[in-house]
Amino acid sequence: MEEVIARGAESVILKTERWNRYFVLKWRQSKPYLLADIDTHLRKTRTSRECKMLSIARSLGVRTPAVYAMNLDDSTILMDFIEGTQFKLLVNTLTENQLKEFCLKFGQSIALLHKGDVVHGDPTTSNLIIDSESRLWLVDFGLSEMNATVEMKGVDLHLIHRALETTHWDLQEIMLKATIKGYSETLGDESNDILSRMEEIRERGRYH
Amino acid sequence: MMVLFCLGIEGTAHSFGAGIVTDEGDVLSNEWDMLQTEQGGIHPREASRHHSDLGPGIIHSALEKAGISYNDINLIAFSRGPGLGPCLRTTATIARTMALKLDVPLVDVNHCVAHIEIGCLESSFTDPVTVYVSGGNSQVIAFAGGRFRTFGETLDIAIGNMLDVLGRELGMGFPAGPMVEKLAKEGSNYHNLPYSVKGMDLSYSGMLTAAKKLFSKGIPIPDICFSVQETAFGMLAEIAERAIAHTKKEELLLTGGVARNNRLTEILEGVSERHGIKFHRVTPSLAGDQGAMIAWNGILQFNAGHTIGIDDSQVLPKWRTDEQDIIWRL
Repeated sequence: MEEVIARGAESVILKTERWNRYFVLKWRQSKPYLLADIDTHLRKTRTSRECKMLSIARSLGVRTPAVYAMNLDDSTILMDFIEGTQFKLLVNTLTENQLKEFCLKFGQSIALLHKGDVVHGDPTTSNLIIDSESRLWLVDFGLSEMNATVEMKGVDLHLIHRALETTHWDLQEIMLKATIKGYSETLGDESNDILSRMEEIRERGRYH
Repeated sequence: MMVLFCLGIEGTAHSFGAGIVTDEGDVLSNEWDMLQTEQGGIHPREASRHHSDLGPGIIHSALEKAGISYNDINLIAFSRGPGLGPCLRTTATIARTMALKLDVPLVDVNHCVAHIEIGCLESSFTDPVTVYVSGGNSQVIAFAGGRFRTFGETLDIAIGNMLDVLGRELGMGFPAGPMVEKLAKEGSNYHNLPYSVKGMDLSYSGMLTAAKKLFSKGIPIPDICFSVQETAFGMLAEIAERAIAHTKKEELLLTGGVARNNRLTEILEGVSERHGIKFHRVTPSLAGDQGAMIAWNGILQFNAGHTIGIDDSQVLPKWRTDEQDIIWRL
């Protein structure tokens, strides 16, 4: 029995039952409108990268689903099914204190990755899952990278800022502040350079 | 009821345009001229000189084509930003002078927002994800919470700018996009280029450097053009797709000067098919920088009760898409 639980930009997320328990099967489908060379390359590299980075992230102390199997021919990954809700969908149901608490944890998780020179690559509130015990899980590591520089970490923070202003515009100040707080407290002095790089990145690429 | 005539004046960069649009959405005329340079690129002062030299004549011919006279104008809209300071100031000066002389209201329009709204007028779309690609902009925009929000954009250079710089390197004229597209059709060997998507943002500078290297290695120009288009447009498709998946909107609009590219159109059509949503590419004459879009946005704002006093109408070179309250959509 397989059930589609989400249809993302680059994959279909299926919930599947095997060995009497639930798993997630993430399937990166082929995109006929892309050049075949690019399509094949992206599906392969992102699938293998995601497997690797999910494990590396966990070793850095961030909650991520465990990977059980991967198939590079059809670009699928079999991983833990996390029983919970996307943070994006929870935001407007929380009290201000609960919201701050989760954002603080979000910032801490990103800081743990950055401490290990890893960037998430797509740190939106859609890629955070809150489980029944109020624990925060990070998912979707297809754009994640190792050996991250200050620039790459700055981009990661810029993407958080961007995600908050487009999706949670009415709460963006509170959320950004709490996320940055969790981030800076965990990362320490190292965070100063990265935060100022984030501001710098925001000003680039614009019609001046 | 009387029909309202709006004169829209556009002059944010190297093009100056004037268009007449009615409050019923009829585009009666849309005249423009683009500064041509020998080496390519835009010098802001030269461009503003171009606007002040040719502007009055372009406005005059827009009125003639529309079959109305100066005294028939009910409203003047101008592109207040974002753009190059000297160009914006020249354009705004023309708009203010005319508003004073004709004693009609003045409306200040955001250039990027105007690109979206003229696309909606033409397509009858109500709430699209917009891919806005031009010489100076590469943005994926959608309406949320009273503003047009930029979900993704370039982290370094715009796609049109990237194509122009590459074209200059390959010995093409300005703008280089049409020639790159033409030669790409003759290319067939794909050369791997850096594909850089970060969340819903993208970056073209690494790809540009790598493409220049291919040229210095003697790779045939058509193959370079082919590889660049496939990579650059593939990245745009991906961020558009991320925005669609994220916002769950059901329309995809392609606009801006680079919307003229047929391969890009084909790829984005494929994206919309995959998600089962509608797609529209804005007609070339309304996709580039021109006055009709400014006029139409002026009407939308005027009907929602917004005008601006001369004293408050200073230009905004860095006016972001998401900095304007979209009162006519509330």
